[in-house]
Amino acid sequence: MSKKKHVTLNVNGKTEEFLAEPRELLIYTLRERLNITGPHIGCETSHCGACTVTINGKSVKSCTMFAVQAEGAEITTIEGIGGPDNLHPLQEAFKEHHGLQCGYCTPGMITRATKLLEEIPNPTEAEIRFGMAGNLCRCTGYQNIVKSIQAAAAQMSAAKEAAE
Amino acid sequence: MKDEITREERVDNLKGMGCSRKRVEDARFTQGKGNYVDDIKLDGMLFGDFVRSPYAHARVKSINKDTALKVPGVLAVLTADDLRPLGLHWMPTLAGDKQMVLADGKVLFQGQEVAFVVAEDRYAAADGIEAVEVEYEELPVLVNPFEALKSDVVLREDLVAEDGSIPAGAHGPRKHHNHIFTWEAGDKGPTEEVIANAEVVAEESMYYHRTHPCPLETCGCVASMDKVNGKLTLWGTFQAPHAIRTVVSLISGIEEHNIRVISPDIGGGFGNKVGAYPGYVCSVVASIVTGKPVKWIEDRMDNLMTTAFARDYHMNGKISATKEGKITGLQCHVTADHGGFDACADPTKFPAGFMNICTGSYDIPTAFLEVDGVYTNKAPGGVSYRCSFRVTEAVYFIERMIEVLAIKLNMDAAELRRINFIKKEQFPYKAALGWEYDSGDYHTAWDKALKTVDYDGLRAEQAQRVRF
Repeated sequence: MSKKKHVTLNVNGKTEEFLAEPRELLIYTLRERLNITGPHIGCETSHCGACTVTINGKSVKSCTMFAVQAEGAEITTIEGIGGPDNLHPLQEAFKEHHGLQCGYCTPGMITRATKLLEEIPNPTEAEIRFGMAGNLCRCTGYQNIVKSIQAAAAQMSAAKEAAE
Repeated sequence: MKDEITREERVDNLKGMGCSRKRVEDARFTQGKGNYVDDIKLDGMLFGDFVRSPYAHARVKSINKDTALKVPGVLAVLTADDLRPLGLHWMPTLAGDKQMVLADGKVLFQGQEVAFVVAEDRYAAADGIEAVEVEYEELPVLVNPFEALKSDVVLREDLVAEDGSIPAGAHGPRKHHNHIFTWEAGDKGPTEEVIANAEVVAEESMYYHRTHPCPLETCGCVASMDKVNGKLTLWGTFQAPHAIRTVVSLISGIEEHNIRVISPDIGGGFGNKVGAYPGYVCSVVASIVTGKPVKWIEDRMDNLMTTAFARDYHMNGKISATKEGKITGLQCHVTADHGGFDACADPTKFPAGFMNICTGSYDIPTAFLEVDGVYTNKAPGGVSYRCSFRVTEAVYFIERMIEVLAIKLNMDAAELRRINFIKKEQFPYKAALGWEYDSGDYHTAWDKALKTVDYDGLRAEQAQRVRF
């Protein structure tokens, strides 16, 4: 064990300061230290994407990043995407189109999809499948996840047009 | 108010079958507000994790935990020697066998649980695991069930009598020290006779490989023993919470009414979370010993290496028919690889689950099934991966046999199936391997299915593309 480091993060708009060992993984920081349990641990090897969060505008698998590497970063988890009174269109769409069963992959899935739709607002099915390839689901067979993202994309585009 | 309502209106009002309903849990799940086992936090909760065997078959000569106990944050290291006085070093399996909770003198598969480190958090537990010194003596490894049945190497010394004889197991006599059971259904003599005298016989050997259900959430639990009122609360990734309560009661001696088992949100199961695992037992023991709640969560490698697999059936079949394609007999022999312990999650009465449904949807007058269970140096298990007990294996077997017979008869497999389906008027139908089928109309369903996929069109396209 080596000396603890001082870490400052901004998670879902809130500043968090703490001392952590350099080996502390970001997913551990979120779940155990900050009680943010939306991101899940599925593989701890970057394969499954259940721990996906957004760090400084990029989708990152928080199980293979150390907390100290995120020093000064702005982090958004599923908890920062939408709550009971302001559901994100993706959260609505996953509910509506049965884009989940057990729900374990869902926070990572939706968090990744928010970035995908920022990168490509109206993605084709192929673009969705490629853009979501880092997130595994063992229940649904992906069909309805693709549908959910398509539905959210359509709704978000329509809302944007209406606003313009 | 209308006097009459239409059928559609009535169905809609009933909100029954065919009616789309919203799932109540999705609002929580989409907001990251699920409550899975690893989300549970209790005051003073400790974390337990395993020292696991790097060998598939080895004697454990010594375990030194002195260094580990000096690691900051490590509170205890449990071994089989610590559990033996309590009678907890072995546990019963769902299949009538018993399984080591922690390595009792030897290990039988790679990743087997050797010692349980209890620490203040996951990092301290990992440090403790690194510091436990285990001396192994490697033994010959048997991973092929056919070789295991011929080998002099004894995997389960606990199941061999002192005079070297092989006592019967939970499912009857055993033929060899690495043999678990033989299970038969149907009539051997008549089936062999029908096949010997048949106009056409097709044979096939197939291996339905070992697979892992691999739910996205691994297995885990939180055990909390309240020593004041004598009650145990156990949260876990349990697909069969009642069976877990019984097993925990049997081994711990805590009465069932003093054990509360809670399965909160489960991140997928697919059969993997039916079994009882050493992690559950060790967490309970550790909570009793320390007086604090203890959490155990597998990592992905632990899950893939040690918790229950599915399938691993070597199946040999013979199917006989008339020249016109009417099936007359079916014979199936299975060599079932159950790993180091028979922890198959089938109902105990059926050591090969529902494998005797292997005559499928067909009217097969004579049949015989024989399943031999075998110990090997692999992880224990044998769960129903996304199906009922061994039904996937049975269905794969019979449908493959139909295909092989169709090739032999030079007949379209769809037509061969149509000729042999149990007819609507034959229900209730008594199958040759003992099942009674209550109802069915396979021909109507078959025609509908073939039409839906445009089977004739598919065949025409095949004929055009494949030119020999």
